[in-house]
Amino acid sequence: MELKINNISKTYPNGVTALSQVSLCIPNGMYGLLGPNGAGKSTLMRILATLQDPSEGTIHLGDIDMLNDKDEVRKTLGYLPQEFGLYPKATAENLLDYFAVLKGFSQKKARREVVESLLKKVNLWDARRQKLGGFSGGMRQRFGIAVALLGNPKLLIVDEPTAGLDPTERVRFLNLLSELGENSVVLLSTHIVEDVSELCTNMAIINKGEILLETQPLAAINALRGKIWRLMIEKSGLPELEQHHQVISTKLFSGKTVVHVYSDIQPGSGFEMVEPDLEDVYFSTMTGLMGTGRKKQEAAL
Amino acid sequence: MIFRQIFRYEFGYQLSSPSTWVYFFLAFMVSFWFTAIVRPGDDTIYLNAPSFLVFATIFNSVIWLLTAGVIAGQAAARDVQTRMFPLVYTTPVSKWKYLSGRFTAAFLLNALIHLVIPIGFFLSFYLRTGQPGQIGPFSLKAFLSAYFYLSLPLAFYVTACQFSVSVVQRKAIAALLVSFLLFPILSQLIGYSVAVWLGKLELYNLVDLVGVSLIKEIETWTPFERNNRFIQLTGTLLWNRLIWFAIATLLLAYSYHLFTFTHQVENSAPKRKKKKTAAEVAVTDLPAVESTAASFFLPSFGRSAWFSQLLAITRSSFRYIAGSKTGLTLVGLYALHLVVFAGEYLKAKGVPQYATPMNVLPMLTASLTNTDSGLVLIPMLLTFLAGELIWRERESNLNAMSDTMPVSEWGLFLGKFLGLALVIGLWMGFLLLAGIGIQLINGQTSVALGVFIKALFGIQLINYLLFAMLVMAVHALVNHKYLGHLAVLMVYLCLVFPEKLGIEHNLFLYGSDPGGSYTDMRGYGPFLAPFLWFKAYWFGWALLLAVVGKLLLVRTMPEHFRGRVQLIKNRFTRSTTLTALAGLVIVLVTGGYIVYNTNVLNEYVSSGTWVEQKAGYEIHYRKYLNRPQPSVTGTKVNVELYPRERKAEIRGRYKLVNLTQVPVDTVCLDIKHGVETRNIRFNVPARAVVDDRFHGFTTYKLQKPLQPGDSVQLNFEVVWQSKGFRNKGMDVSVVENGTYFINYERLPTIGYSLNRELRNDPDRKNYGLSDWKLPSLYDPNSRQVRSGQELISFEAVVGTEAGQTAIAPGKLVRAWNEKGRSYFQYATHAPIRNTFSIFSARYEKYASVWKDTVSGRKRDVTFTIYYHPGHAENVKRIARSVQAALPYFTRTFGPYPHDHLTITERSDSEGFLNAEPSAVDFGEPFVLLNQNDNPQALDVVFFAMAHEVAHQWFGTGQVIPAASEGAPVVSESVANYSGLQVVEHTYGEEQVGLLLQMWRDDYEVPRMWYMNSLLQANDPFLGYRKGVMALYALTRYTHKEAVNDALRQMLTRHGTGKPPLPNTLDLYRELKAAMPDSLHGLLSDYFEKNLYWQMKTDQVSAEQIDARNWKVTLRVKAKKYIIDSTGSDIAQPLNDWIEIGVFAPGVKSKPLYRQKHKITAEETTITVRVSEKPAQAGIDPYYLLFDLFLDDNRKNVTIKGDGVENLKQGLL
Repeated sequence: MELKINNISKTYPNGVTALSQVSLCIPNGMYGLLGPNGAGKSTLMRILATLQDPSEGTIHLGDIDMLNDKDEVRKTLGYLPQEFGLYPKATAENLLDYFAVLKGFSQKKARREVVESLLKKVNLWDARRQKLGGFSGGMRQRFGIAVALLGNPKLLIVDEPTAGLDPTERVRFLNLLSELGENSVVLLSTHIVEDVSELCTNMAIINKGEILLETQPLAAINALRGKIWRLMIEKSGLPELEQHHQVISTKLFSGKTVVHVYSDIQPGSGFEMVEPDLEDVYFSTMTGLMGTGRKKQEAAL
Repeated sequence: MIFRQIFRYEFGYQLSSPSTWVYFFLAFMVSFWFTAIVRPGDDTIYLNAPSFLVFATIFNSVIWLLTAGVIAGQAAARDVQTRMFPLVYTTPVSKWKYLSGRFTAAFLLNALIHLVIPIGFFLSFYLRTGQPGQIGPFSLKAFLSAYFYLSLPLAFYVTACQFSVSVVQRKAIAALLVSFLLFPILSQLIGYSVAVWLGKLELYNLVDLVGVSLIKEIETWTPFERNNRFIQLTGTLLWNRLIWFAIATLLLAYSYHLFTFTHQVENSAPKRKKKKTAAEVAVTDLPAVESTAASFFLPSFGRSAWFSQLLAITRSSFRYIAGSKTGLTLVGLYALHLVVFAGEYLKAKGVPQYATPMNVLPMLTASLTNTDSGLVLIPMLLTFLAGELIWRERESNLNAMSDTMPVSEWGLFLGKFLGLALVIGLWMGFLLLAGIGIQLINGQTSVALGVFIKALFGIQLINYLLFAMLVMAVHALVNHKYLGHLAVLMVYLCLVFPEKLGIEHNLFLYGSDPGGSYTDMRGYGPFLAPFLWFKAYWFGWALLLAVVGKLLLVRTMPEHFRGRVQLIKNRFTRSTTLTALAGLVIVLVTGGYIVYNTNVLNEYVSSGTWVEQKAGYEIHYRKYLNRPQPSVTGTKVNVELYPRERKAEIRGRYKLVNLTQVPVDTVCLDIKHGVETRNIRFNVPARAVVDDRFHGFTTYKLQKPLQPGDSVQLNFEVVWQSKGFRNKGMDVSVVENGTYFINYERLPTIGYSLNRELRNDPDRKNYGLSDWKLPSLYDPNSRQVRSGQELISFEAVVGTEAGQTAIAPGKLVRAWNEKGRSYFQYATHAPIRNTFSIFSARYEKYASVWKDTVSGRKRDVTFTIYYHPGHAENVKRIARSVQAALPYFTRTFGPYPHDHLTITERSDSEGFLNAEPSAVDFGEPFVLLNQNDNPQALDVVFFAMAHEVAHQWFGTGQVIPAASEGAPVVSESVANYSGLQVVEHTYGEEQVGLLLQMWRDDYEVPRMWYMNSLLQANDPFLGYRKGVMALYALTRYTHKEAVNDALRQMLTRHGTGKPPLPNTLDLYRELKAAMPDSLHGLLSDYFEKNLYWQMKTDQVSAEQIDARNWKVTLRVKAKKYIIDSTGSDIAQPLNDWIEIGVFAPGVKSKPLYRQKHKITAEETTITVRVSEKPAQAGIDPYYLLFDLFLDDNRKNVTIKGDGVENLKQGLL
């Protein structure tokens, strides 16, 4: 099963272009979609989740034409939206059971087992009789995951899933995801680089509605090897540094500013070469030093 | 400063929302087009009269109240609902400034919306030119008084209530619920029933929210007042405003007290569980449970999955509503209230009725569009709940998740609909229980379960389901919750007032049917088939609506309408197409069948055509009104009834005699609509000159004019058969059980019929006709014998289905069976008036004989009562009444002219009685009065039957009044008076008191205080109420013999039924002759004027003189005045004998003192002596004079030197 996104564009009625000419090819396994807030991630995710229609382009999941055969997609879709609410008066078990029916588990016995196993999986079994109105943020998120996992979806779309989770919850969640990634397409949108680096075999970076980079994390890191340099400076020295070097990111550490600079050669004294990580890939791409941004610059030159 | 900022921001924010403008727009449009929707009943009232603005304001207020709750709701709860509250609540704004700023903004917005009402109303007279009707000068005072006394206070207290509850509930929608609770439930339903229950309608005026009671008050105004009078903030209205102001302020204060700037847990679960949650959350390092069990089960999406999905959504929707605060409780409470108040609902004329299905059904069922019934609650709830269901996922923010579920839109839409349907089913269950409860509590031994189930789960459920589908589709289409409510209300108003939109054919009125009623005799009878056909037709439409709902249901991210339309293409699946096709086929097939029935089998008469027929009749043929015509002197009819086929065939023969002084060469024959009249033949050569079947008028020229005294025979045939069904109502003249019709609606009559004239003045004006009036008292032509008043000999042979009894006037001569049918032959021995009815049903018969030992004629009168087998409870009582009335009237007025009296039950949902010579008939409810178990109540059955028997002397037999002004007095006042005499003779004072009380209660009902004099009486009120009160009072000023003598004289002089027919002037002359001169002034006050007294006892004190003597001093006020057509009072000099009475304690005590005193001054002090300790005293204590305010006539006595004791004296 493969998800093929072909030249998707989305322009909202108010003229905002959320996506332009997005094409991606997403194989089985975990796929990370990385991008800053407002990059168009959620729009893309909603389109993939059959909630919105693109202005143009096509999407296919295997043989299914996703834009024209939503009913078919929905049978094998799991979606965890970035933001969602729950019926406050319903209990976890009750609502999950309801969703299970909607997901096609019409046999009572089968449904009960499915619900039970999922609630156990997301560690809500003990809270199954509680009303959802009293759930904490993490519990709600886990409940959402349980809903998304119902029916072993072939396409699982999770939109910023770890944003509200504490570190332990996050780890558990990512474990759950990776388990599923073995024979499904799992698309994970996030702005947290670690989520991708820990899980995904494939990834794309998106900004302002355009795909800047489509790659495999390891390959991307390898491509950067030897090009990332670090320097610790006072904050006041930053403007000057930015004039002369390709600064891709700055970080504070013990009151000093740690600057990462992109350069094919040793940029100057005091700079030390560092082993690049996915974060450097991300920032390099965002600053136009990698991916389509780079290509565009080269074309302009 | 901060207050101003909060206020300005809120005000601006709401103004930037299109929905706010919709309310402004709506207020403007409805008031702008108001005169197109409603018009003053009387066209002498200006369209822009102050009173009419009040009406427009109230009408608009109701619409505003039921839809615009969102403004206050949003102001109160937006921050919570948008989850912005953490940002707002943590700012250093004080609670007071925050809430008051928000509230003021909402209030101001609502106040401005109300301001648009009078503006739109008045502007319409400048911008919408060519409105037919009078327009008066613009009155600023009308504008201001309506706005400041009605609109602004209403805006304040409704906003306050809505705002407070929304603040506390933290939900905007709560405001809408408050509107429902405030207006229809609290103010209308509870307020009204409690007021009726306690017998104090003033109480209702105090809680009436929008001013409905004001409309009733305006009904008492004269046209002049309606054009010129302004409402004033005094009395009840002021109190009403103060009470609501207090309620509103208290609610505001209470919500202010409850409100805190804190986060509130949505669901306050018990503490124990919370701890568990905390514990559970802490254990996060638990390894995820590996479970492979789930993967064994795979989802399936076959038909069974589709059904389980539908079922799951249905169940979930049902639980959601059933678990909500309003879902079941309101209808449940309503059902409970029906059981509790059933006794009151069942009362008619103050007497409880038997709780037969016919009497209980009107409580449990009401047409969807009947806004007077408390059941209007159901369409309102449906609107609200459908909105909640359609918006459920989106409001819980669950939609992103649920919308991606593999469920078809069918499942989502239908599931919700079915959930709602289950709720409706449960409501019907509540009402069913209420019906059973009512029957059991009110002494019915057998519960009419079958009828209730048929009515509730057949008729009502279908109607509500159809409406629910409409509401769901509208909500899906509009896709804005509050505007959706508004749209539904608009649609509902269109259903309630279809004629305003020019919609007459039920085919264009969603959910409609031709209407019908249930009676015990005929059941649902012929109404059922058309009902089912129409509902099948609407079911087809409901399917199409379901398709609309399915296609437009917003499921994915809503963008704009165009996007939604594009979605439709994808959603047009095979099942959708099939459903739409099925709907279309059903609509076409059933619609075709309906049109075949309403327009082909039956003549479809639009209201325009109907008016044209009536107006044209008058325009073309009124010239024949006073043309000399021969009179019917003998009628023979052969009637063949076919109840099952709903068919009647009549062959008739009239003997016509020229009773005039001139030869007659043209006979005018009035032909009735709805029947086929054929084979009209005279036994002399004659030819038709006019044969106008459209207007129903024909004339025949006799070849040889009919000389005075000569006669001619007219033969004719009349047939009709109810085929299929009509658009509105049913012809129930011939039905399976309970056939009834009256001759003048079916058989041809001679001459122009005054009673066929158009009476609606605006319609008359359109055809250039002058206002309709009863013929004048002083018009000599009015004393002619009109058709229906002729004295005839009568013979009939009526054939009907075997097993039924057919009834016609006259004595039963012969009854036989022939060819499986039953035949009955009747003949009269004395002349009767030419008005008769024919009946046929499976009757029980009660027969008795009154032996006339009074008149000396030694003739027995057989009287027969034909009644429905289940309606036997009052038969003996009716017989007793006849046995009492016949001798009393014979003794008092003269002999009864016939040897028989036939009393027949009419299959009818109306209970009125009707007298014809030698015959009386009554509608079913009349005999369902439970007199047997309520001996202390007024014996309405006894009295009413005596009244009808009295008509055998006055009104219908013997003294036949001229068809002119005053006729209701000659007929009904005298019959009521005579009935009262029989009641007094049989039962004594107590029942007389109850009867007078019933009449006085009606007297106080809001009505216009300006009315004609009794002499020129032109309405039922004067005939049935004022006239009899005057006659009764005269017996108290003289004695009853005086009045009886006058009536007997009247009978002697005018009892032949021959012209010139008598009118009130003749009655007045006889009364004057029978009364002493000293009472002629009073007679004139009673009969010639619209005169009222106003009497009041200011102070009463008593002093004991010795053991047997008490001195009682009364200070009384009295004045009298005439109310003229402008509504103003014209004081009259007072020089009247007025009763003064003193009463001992106890309810039934005889008066200690009762004497008439001549009172001439406005304030008088009167001292009288009594022999016992008095408790009460007063002026005109028995209310013999017309006083609009009776409460202050009597007063408790203050005993001098004994202050305490009297405080606790009971009322007399």
